[in-house]
Amino acid sequence: MLDYGSKIVAGVTPGKGGTTVHEVPVYDAVKAAVSENPADASILFVPAPFIKDAAVEALDSDIKLLVIITEHIPVHDTAYVREQAESVGARAIGPTTPGIICPGKTKIGIMPASVFMEGNVGIISRSGTLLYEIAGNLTLAGIGQSACVGIGADPVVGTDMIDILRLFEEDEHTKLVAIVGEIGGVQEEEAAKFIRKMTKPVVAYVAGRVAPPGERMGHAGAIILRGRGTAQTKIDLLRNAGVRIASRPSDVVGLVKKCLQF
Amino acid sequence: MRLFEHEAKEIFRRFGIPVPNGAIAGSPDEVDLAVRRVGLPVAIKAQVLVGGRGRAGGIKFADSLEEAVEKAKELMSEKIRGQRVRRVLIEEKLDVGHEYYLGATFDQLSGKPVVMFSTEGGVDIETIAEKRPEFLISKHVSLSRGLFQFEALEICQKLGLSGTLLLKVSSILHRLYGVFDQYDAMIAEINPLVVTNEDKLCAVDAVLEIDDNSLFRHQDIKLDLSERVEDEIKREAIQQGLSYVKLEGDIGVIGSGAGLTMTTIDLVKDFGGKPANFLETGGAITEQLMEGAVKLVLKDRRLRALLINLYGGINPMPDAAKGIVKAYEKLRPKIPILVKVIGNQQEEAWSILESAGISVVKEIQTEVAVRKLMKMLGE
Repeated sequence: MLDYGSKIVAGVTPGKGGTTVHEVPVYDAVKAAVSENPADASILFVPAPFIKDAAVEALDSDIKLLVIITEHIPVHDTAYVREQAESVGARAIGPTTPGIICPGKTKIGIMPASVFMEGNVGIISRSGTLLYEIAGNLTLAGIGQSACVGIGADPVVGTDMIDILRLFEEDEHTKLVAIVGEIGGVQEEEAAKFIRKMTKPVVAYVAGRVAPPGERMGHAGAIILRGRGTAQTKIDLLRNAGVRIASRPSDVVGLVKKCLQF
Repeated sequence: MRLFEHEAKEIFRRFGIPVPNGAIAGSPDEVDLAVRRVGLPVAIKAQVLVGGRGRAGGIKFADSLEEAVEKAKELMSEKIRGQRVRRVLIEEKLDVGHEYYLGATFDQLSGKPVVMFSTEGGVDIETIAEKRPEFLISKHVSLSRGLFQFEALEICQKLGLSGTLLLKVSSILHRLYGVFDQYDAMIAEINPLVVTNEDKLCAVDAVLEIDDNSLFRHQDIKLDLSERVEDEIKREAIQQGLSYVKLEGDIGVIGSGAGLTMTTIDLVKDFGGKPANFLETGGAITEQLMEGAVKLVLKDRRLRALLINLYGGINPMPDAAKGIVKAYEKLRPKIPILVKVIGNQQEEAWSILESAGISVVKEIQTEVAVRKLMKMLGE
């Protein structure tokens, strides 16, 4: 992240206070860290059993953006963190996310910088590696991104797809939004309702068309239950809301070009 | 992880939720003993981890000991929705006056827990919600505040309950939320909660699914994978921390990240192939994990080819490549293997794979890899 230009002012690891990593000072607690180095975002790599504690600590220190990279967090903990964040007007992204990147500007995440390029496509993805593939396809075609946000694919996430859509709709650097969805849950279904009201074009790719019902496809939330949350229902709803659907990852490029009249 | 009915009922009972008298049995002798303990007539219930058990013939009744043993034997020789029946739960047969539905789960829209109550129990919650929504009350619960007894009471009151029944049912709803909360449940459900003709309340069925990611703080829950997961490859995958789903085809697929792996199987199908499985490594790829994953998938005798699709963000890909090579050199599979690997130190990973004679795809597009694989298969 430092290499990418992200301004990392401090690190927190209980017990390691007073040391430095790549010249960044390390503290035992978030409050001390931010009192000496004001920060507006926090990225969390803490092991799953301790995430709830670490997230509340960050919120207590008045940090308004948490990016939770850790995977395998208990859903009850994620839901608790989301509730706490909402109650203080903060936002948690993730868990199980590669984070956020604004190519050419900054990143709060673990994604490889090489597949991204500065531009005006906003990407929202429920998957990490599939985000890299879609962004990489666009970058290869010379289409850059304004921001790419991994929201994660747990049954409960800190920030919903619809919340990021709202931000992209208002963002002057974003001309088009690409959604990278997958089976399970209700994120795409809810997003479709908002997209009807959006002025910016939206394209989408949804993974998991051949996933059998009742099986968890890797992500805790990627499961078709009682016929709901299938790729096809999501695709149909999005299409009805005016979204252009890519049937393969590389088709996203053609659709974006068409919308932006490259 | 979903618990068996008898396991869920044991937990419910400890929380003060009334459950029928019952005993678990895995053999005719045990059935005999269980029936004598419980008393006739009995219900004989297949212990399987699938919904819709009743409709699939998984619940039988018996008025005599002989009949019970006979029907239990029948159940234990059958499969219910594809699942082998290892045990049956022998329970007292209750005379049903009325059936309620009680449940607690997460509302994925708001990210909050939701408790649900319906006076139209006995059918599944989706059917109630669709056909008789006016008889279903649901309420969001704040995780920091919890559910109070008076709130559970208000919920039940809304559907016309009063007097002792109101007190009893609402207290069970309150306790059910307690189970949901303390056991990190994804869902805790009583359907039906029965009122007998003698005004006795009893949770006749119990569903409890515990979040796998929370098991570290529920050491009291003993996991016997051999009872829960029938497929041997899947069982081993879980033990190695991999996510595996068996599919119908003959092309093995391993990927890093759920979305990318799902995309890979979608594309295999698109290009005329049939995926044999979905295997996802999760976010932390190591040499050992990768070696295990390849060995595991290659156990599947149906395979005609193996496609590996990896993307390394922070995980160094040379480690993954070494793992693949190790498995490859130990097993020397006769089927074509194709690896697409991109990301962290990709060049080194490519050269490790190529030196071992494994075909590599260096483009970022998964389509390129799938197309090449189909060509290798002559299709």
